[in-house]
Amino acid sequence: MARMKFLCDAERCIECNSCVTACKNEHEVPWGVNRRRVVTINDGVPGERSMSVACMHCSDAPCIAVCPTNVIYQTEEGVVLHDKDGCIGCGYCFYACPFGAPQFPNGPAAFGARGKMDKCTFCAGGPEENGSQAELEKYGRNRLAEGKLPLCAEMCSTKALLGGDATEISDIFRDRVLRRGKGVEAWGWMTAYGKEKEGAK
Amino acid sequence: MSTILGRRSGFGLLLALVAWLFMLGSGSVLAQAGPAAAQVERQQTQPLNNAPVWREVRSGEAHFTTVRGPETGVLIQTEGQAWRQWRNGPITFWGGVLLLVVPTAIGLFFAVKGAVKLHGAPTGRRMQRFSTFERVVHWGTAISFVVLGITGVCILFGKHFIEPVFGNAVLGGLLWAGKTVHNYVGPVFGVFTLLMILAFLRDNVWQAIDSVWIRKAGGIASGEHVPSGRFNFGEKTWFWIGVTFLGLIVAGSGLVMDFPNFGQTRATMQLANIIHGVGAILLIALSLGHIYMGTIGVEGAYQSMKTGYVDETWAKEHHEFWYDEVKAGRSGRP
Repeated sequence: MARMKFLCDAERCIECNSCVTACKNEHEVPWGVNRRRVVTINDGVPGERSMSVACMHCSDAPCIAVCPTNVIYQTEEGVVLHDKDGCIGCGYCFYACPFGAPQFPNGPAAFGARGKMDKCTFCAGGPEENGSQAELEKYGRNRLAEGKLPLCAEMCSTKALLGGDATEISDIFRDRVLRRGKGVEAWGWMTAYGKEKEGAK
Repeated sequence: MSTILGRRSGFGLLLALVAWLFMLGSGSVLAQAGPAAAQVERQQTQPLNNAPVWREVRSGEAHFTTVRGPETGVLIQTEGQAWRQWRNGPITFWGGVLLLVVPTAIGLFFAVKGAVKLHGAPTGRRMQRFSTFERVVHWGTAISFVVLGITGVCILFGKHFIEPVFGNAVLGGLLWAGKTVHNYVGPVFGVFTLLMILAFLRDNVWQAIDSVWIRKAGGIASGEHVPSGRFNFGEKTWFWIGVTFLGLIVAGSGLVMDFPNFGQTRATMQLANIIHGVGAILLIALSLGHIYMGTIGVEGAYQSMKTGYVDETWAKEHHEFWYDEVKAGRSGRP
């Protein structure tokens, strides 16, 4: 069984925000909620790095641990999902989450009237029937059930954001790290210059 | 060769001078660019080592993002884990233990000792113990407190005792209503608590007679009559520690969480939640003692707050100094 994870390559992310846009469009995310966001460190100065962040679908998820109504759960693939029907909008998942993933359509409203929590579903919908209208309206599209991976990662212009089975994406990343800085992985390099000839000095 | 080197070192000197002047002129700018400068230096000395950036990720500082919302610029906040461990650990466990042990102890006490009955015969003459204002304030606080206590206990402990019995759907529905009620009744309790403190402050200050009550432990075990003013030391303890100290702490910390619209951070609300939980559990535990004494524990106590009047025998047996003062026409009337 696959273990679904996200991985963001800080050497590649260019802060284009297409993951944010793709997610909002695919899932018709309510106003004020961004299931994914890009944060830039050292913005506008040398040493700048950007990272795309959303729910990381933790193994020991703090949101699951603190939810008073026990409506957040983890699927067999490791995806952390939640049942909006039982959500009371207490905001505890928002307190506990290290990544700021849980968000609320009414925002930080007076009397704690936040509305029901909304967060990244790893494009895996929710507890409703796969592909149903109810699922689409509450949680967005269920791409995983269609055999597709999260759209944010699929749309990533530099393939900085990887989403999928942990072993697959960590293999991709490991391969990148090994080759990184040696020139060969740059776009068009092999086409333009070909392989280095054996024995050539 | 030497001329090239000479030129290079000259250029280097010039650069150093410019950098030095820049540092003199704008120390604060450089200090702000500290982490960025560290990253720039690191990627030159150790290419692809982004340790300075990852340290910034872990710092909990807000960075740039186009997404608007509470603390969206923070990549990782680590306080949430500490909050989770406090809330799900000692507060849930020891709080739960306390809320089971206290009622059990009170129940055992009642089974063994029974209620404190009147010793003398009622005279039939009644004297006013609480004014209408005092009773309205008391019952306003009491009702809002019970509502908040029950809903609050369900929010913390519901998934341990409601869900296993009634299932997740019942828990969700109950807590949706419970949380909404809790959030709107909370400020009402806060207002009533303030009124309560104002209403009863005067008769809860220390009196010399209180030392007698402390020495005899209120006569709870011996059943002896211990004279006291309008309120005995036990009631004063409840007033100061329960109503005033814990009441204000619980109401204040609740407001911090109830109105997140003032831009408080998650760390502030986590701390408020811990204080709120600890304070509320202690307050509930103390209130059980107060409720016991005010209902089944002491005969006539409930009637006094319900009607505002007590029998003269009751007044003489429980609050002799107050009785004397009222009879002498001095202070002590509500």
